[in-house]
Amino acid sequence: MKCELAQETIVMAVYGELPDDKAPEFEQHLAGCERCREEVEAVKALSKVMSLLPIEEPSANLVARSRLRLEEALDAIPRGSWLVRSWRRFGQSIGRLRGAPAAACAVVVASLTVGGVSGFEAGQRSPEVVPAAQTQHPDTDDDSLSDVAYVSSIVQKPNSENVQVVYNRLQPVTVTGSLDDPKIRQLLLLGTRNRLNPNVQDSSVRLLADECRAGHECDDGPVRDALLKALRYDKSATVRLKALEGLQPYVADDVRVRDTVLESLLSDPDPRVRTQAIGLLEPVGADSSVREVLHTVAARDDNPDIRSASRQVLDQIPQVQ
Amino acid sequence: MAIDPSVRATEADLIREAQAGSRTAFDALVRQYDQAVLRLALHLTGSEQDAEDIHQEAFLKAYRYLGNFRFECSFYTWIYRIVTNLCLDLLRRRKSRREDQAVMLDSSGEEIDLLTNVTDQRASANPDRELNRKILAERIREALDKLTPRERMVFELKHYQGLKLRTIGEMLNTTEETAKNTLFRATRKLRTILAELR
Repeated sequence: MKCELAQETIVMAVYGELPDDKAPEFEQHLAGCERCREEVEAVKALSKVMSLLPIEEPSANLVARSRLRLEEALDAIPRGSWLVRSWRRFGQSIGRLRGAPAAACAVVVASLTVGGVSGFEAGQRSPEVVPAAQTQHPDTDDDSLSDVAYVSSIVQKPNSENVQVVYNRLQPVTVTGSLDDPKIRQLLLLGTRNRLNPNVQDSSVRLLADECRAGHECDDGPVRDALLKALRYDKSATVRLKALEGLQPYVADDVRVRDTVLESLLSDPDPRVRTQAIGLLEPVGADSSVREVLHTVAARDDNPDIRSASRQVLDQIPQVQ
Repeated sequence: MAIDPSVRATEADLIREAQAGSRTAFDALVRQYDQAVLRLALHLTGSEQDAEDIHQEAFLKAYRYLGNFRFECSFYTWIYRIVTNLCLDLLRRRKSRREDQAVMLDSSGEEIDLLTNVTDQRASANPDRELNRKILAERIREALDKLTPRERMVFELKHYQGLKLRTIGEMLNTTEETAKNTLFRATRKLRTILAELR
C-alpha cells in the first residue's frame, strides 16, 4: 500500500470504517512507515479535539416546546376521514376536544349536524358556549341537533335502554367592526383555520392579506403566520395566491417568508402560484438561495412559461462578486 | 443504530397506521425520533431556535409526505434524510448570508475575538475553566463553520452521531464512496484550520 492511499485509509481506520480485507495490508504498511504512523496519531488527536465540543441533550423545555408546537401545527392540518372518526366518536365518551371558536359558530353549525366532534383548537377568548352542566338545564325535548358543539357525557340508565346524553351547544354570535379592530382581527385569524367552510377561510385570508398589502398593522406574528400557513397548506390555489399577495411586503426582510415563497416556487402544484412567487422573489434576487431555486426552476419546472420567467429574472440580477 | 427486528415490525405497523390516517400512530413515530432529531439539529446549528424550527419542518414534511414512504429504507434513514436536507439548507443560507459570528464576552465585558490567537488561556493564566471550555468549544465551532455544508454534515454524522458512512450516503442521497471522500476532505481541512489557530 502506498502512502497516498494509506493517508485516506488512516481516516477510515480511525473512524472504524476500514474494510476487514484492507486491514492486513494497512497494518503492514504502518509497520514500515513512520510518517503514516505519525499521521494516525495526528488524526486521532484531531478526533479527540473535535470531541471537546460536547453533544448536548436537548433540554426538557426545548423538547416540550418543540412537541407542543408540532402538535398545534398538526392539529391545524385537515385530516382525511375525520368525519368518519366523528361518527365513531359520537357514540362513545368525550373525544379529544378543545372547544370551538365563537367566530366559526355560524358556519360550523351546518357541518356539526354530522356528529359534533371538532378538531379545532381552543379559542383564546372565552367561548360563547353555555355548558349544559352549568345552567343545570333539565332534560330538553329540543329535537334540533344542529348547534351541538360536543357530547360531554353518556350514561346508560341501569336495566334500561334509556341513555342520558349531556351535550354542549353552540350559540352563534354576530359581531360587526372595523378591520383594524383587534377583536375582528382575532376572529379573522380563527376564520383562516376553518377547514369546514372554504368561503369563511377564503374571506379571512383575503381580508388579512389585503390589510397586509395596504400596510395596516400587519407586523405581528399571528397574521403573518396565518398567511404562511395558508400559503403552505391551503387546498385552494385562490387562497394560496391571496396569501402570497399579503406576504409580498415581507419577502425582503423576513427570511421565513422568503423561504416559504421559495418552497412554493419549487413545489406548489398550481402554475399561477409559482408564477406569482417568481414575481415576489425578483427584488431579492441577490440572495443566493433565491438564485439557486430560480436556476432549479428554470431547468426543471414542467411549465415552459415558468421556466422562461425564471430565466428572465436570473438574467436581470446583477452579477454577484 | 441497530434496531431489533421485533421493534422494526412494530414500527412498520405504526407507519402503515399513520399512512392510513392515524394521528396517534404518527405521534408515536414522532416520539421515537424527535429527541434524536433535536440533538442533531442542536449540535449542528448551535441554536435552540434553529433546532426547534428544523424539528418542526422535518416532522411536518414527514407527515405531509408519509404516503411516499415505501419501506425501501428504514424509517430512521428516511426521517434523517429530511432532517439532514433541512440542516444543509440552513447551513447554506448561513454561509451565503454571512451571519454575524457569535461574540463572547470576558468577565469584564470586553469582547473576545475568537479568530485571533489567544496567547495563553491555560489554567495557570486564567483560572476560569468554564470560560476556557466555552472558548475552546467556540473555536471548534468556528473551525466546523469553515467547512462546506456537505463536509460539515458528513463530519457531524460520522464523528458526532457515529453513523456508518454507508448510512450517511443513503441519508445524503449519495454513495458511500462520496461520503468517504467528503469525510477525508473535512478532516484534512479541520487539521489545517485548527493548526492555524494555535
